[in-house]
Amino acid sequence: METSSPLIELRNLNKSYFSSEGLETPVLYDVHLTINSGEFVAIMGPSGSGKSTLMHILGFLDSQTSGDYLYKGNPMREVDDDELARIRATEVSFVFQAFNLLPRTTVLENVMLPLLYHPTIPVPERTTLSMKAIDAVGLHDRALFMTNQLSGGQQQRVAIARALVTNPKIIFADEPTGNLDSASGRQVMSILQKLHSEGHTIILVTHERKTAEHAERIIHILDGKIDQDTKDFKRLMAEKEPTLK
Amino acid sequence: MHLRDTFRAARKGVTANASRSFLTMLGIIIGVGSVVLMTGVGKSMEGVILGQISSLGSTSMVIFPGSGPEGGEGQVQVGFDSLTFGDLDALAKLESITNLSPILFVRGEVTYGREQSAATILGTVPHYFENVSIEAAEGRVLLDSDERGAKNVAVIGPDVVFDLFPGGNALGRNMTIADREFTIVGITKPVGSQFFQNVDDRIFIPLSVAKIMTGQKYVNMLTMEASGSFELAFTDVKGILRRRHGIQNPTDDPDKDDFIVRSSAQANQILGTVSIALTLFITFIAGISLLVGGIGIMNIMLVAVTERTREIGLRKALGATKRDVLLQFLFEAVLLTLIGGIIGMLLGVFLAYFGAAIVHRFLATYVFALSIPAVFVAITVAGATGLLFGIYPAKKAADLRPIQALRYE
Repeated sequence: METSSPLIELRNLNKSYFSSEGLETPVLYDVHLTINSGEFVAIMGPSGSGKSTLMHILGFLDSQTSGDYLYKGNPMREVDDDELARIRATEVSFVFQAFNLLPRTTVLENVMLPLLYHPTIPVPERTTLSMKAIDAVGLHDRALFMTNQLSGGQQQRVAIARALVTNPKIIFADEPTGNLDSASGRQVMSILQKLHSEGHTIILVTHERKTAEHAERIIHILDGKIDQDTKDFKRLMAEKEPTLK
Repeated sequence: MHLRDTFRAARKGVTANASRSFLTMLGIIIGVGSVVLMTGVGKSMEGVILGQISSLGSTSMVIFPGSGPEGGEGQVQVGFDSLTFGDLDALAKLESITNLSPILFVRGEVTYGREQSAATILGTVPHYFENVSIEAAEGRVLLDSDERGAKNVAVIGPDVVFDLFPGGNALGRNMTIADREFTIVGITKPVGSQFFQNVDDRIFIPLSVAKIMTGQKYVNMLTMEASGSFELAFTDVKGILRRRHGIQNPTDDPDKDDFIVRSSAQANQILGTVSIALTLFITFIAGISLLVGGIGIMNIMLVAVTERTREIGLRKALGATKRDVLLQFLFEAVLLTLIGGIIGMLLGVFLAYFGAAIVHRFLATYVFALSIPAVFVAITVAGATGLLFGIYPAKKAADLRPIQALRYE
């Protein structure tokens, strides 16, 4: 059962936000989605379409209002907070638009941070694993720099190193190139591409076509619904050109 | 997360903003510092006061003429003549007391050549010196032969030497007391004060001589030592004096008596009560300042949680459990208060020590002292304050939903 299940399966998933007065704002309607292990998926859509919310639910940072999320065939509805924390620590990782590095802290310590929360990786291996991850993003000689001494592109590479240090099943990237110049953006995307070729599942949220081009499958969201799910990037772009940059 | 890592993260939280952490700690520093300082001062003062009594010897007893509540503000009247030599003889037969020594105060000018002294003149017997633990530094104290022969000899205190013989060499000289010549046969060791009376400014002459000089039929004071229990000695002494003075006092009401019996143990007890009350009072004040310090800690931890909401969100996104976040912020609060407590303790010790060094110059028996239990209690309470006032902010941080925290602006 486990092996035959897709990595991620959403069934009739709905998500609404509620204001403190109880006012309901629906964000996602009736989403059906299957993602298999090893895929490189880009979630696209205009701002406010619900693409980030979808990613947060997929990444166990938020929960659905109704419907089912099956991760490796297991319904996430029944999972408690501690188990969710364990999944976040071992199975998934994130690259954020704003990098979200700890200030006044070295590159090495930032990359090591997820290992502190990892339940099984032994303490003596932390430095080796972190250095390996820092090597993989080409920042070997910057390991003991403070993060604020680095450029934006370098900081995002630190964030990627942090994302892959636990060797997670899925790497989520939320507008990873949004705060970067195009050269740094290309560099970041080529690293993600490489990780994909090494077998990581990558789920990317973006509204930039140049960024989405790297993915092999595009899920286009419009007004909280999946409006296109295609591997034909060119056709999608031709259709959606007015709404996408 | 390993506790060691949680602790490191908490330490980083404290050191990342050192000046703010220090300001936060100030309340705790002052609280603990004042507890340590004040209990130390209390202990030093206790030492000074106990020194007044313990130099008397623990079995010392005193009888004064007069009336008043036991151990309280008795009305000691110098001219009161209730204690007669007959009483003295009767008391001398008691087994429960020893070293019975009557004292007569003699008035008169004390001179040597042109020098004068305002010393107190006491006529007494050799046992007196044992009762109050006074020894001769030079020469000797009074002897039985002085008493029997009513010899005009005097033992003088070091302050009297200072007044009358600025060049020293007092021993063997003749001085004048109330127009009578006395040979100085001894000088007592400096003692300082007993019961806040300067013992060094006294002149001791034989009781027999004092009787002749004053013509008094009564004594001004009796000192003695209990040979066994104080209780027995008290009962015996009171019984004899009441019978001889015709006082009916079955209820042991000190107001009805015409004499007051005191012991050094009683004085100890009273001072003990006073110092407990004082300590409680100080502890109460210190408790308030620790409470205020604790509220300061809670306030700053709430600020830290708000300020670091995104960091908390990130940690949760990376796999931190509620417990990890809770412990991190709790450790941070406890660390703040513990460091504050230790700085406060060092400050308190330093001030107590420094203060004692100064006071010691004026009051030789005041020496540096620390209440070790108070030090431990203060630091423990400081840590507990951190725990107590850290729980709410830490819980608030732990309960944040990851995505809310990450998106917090």
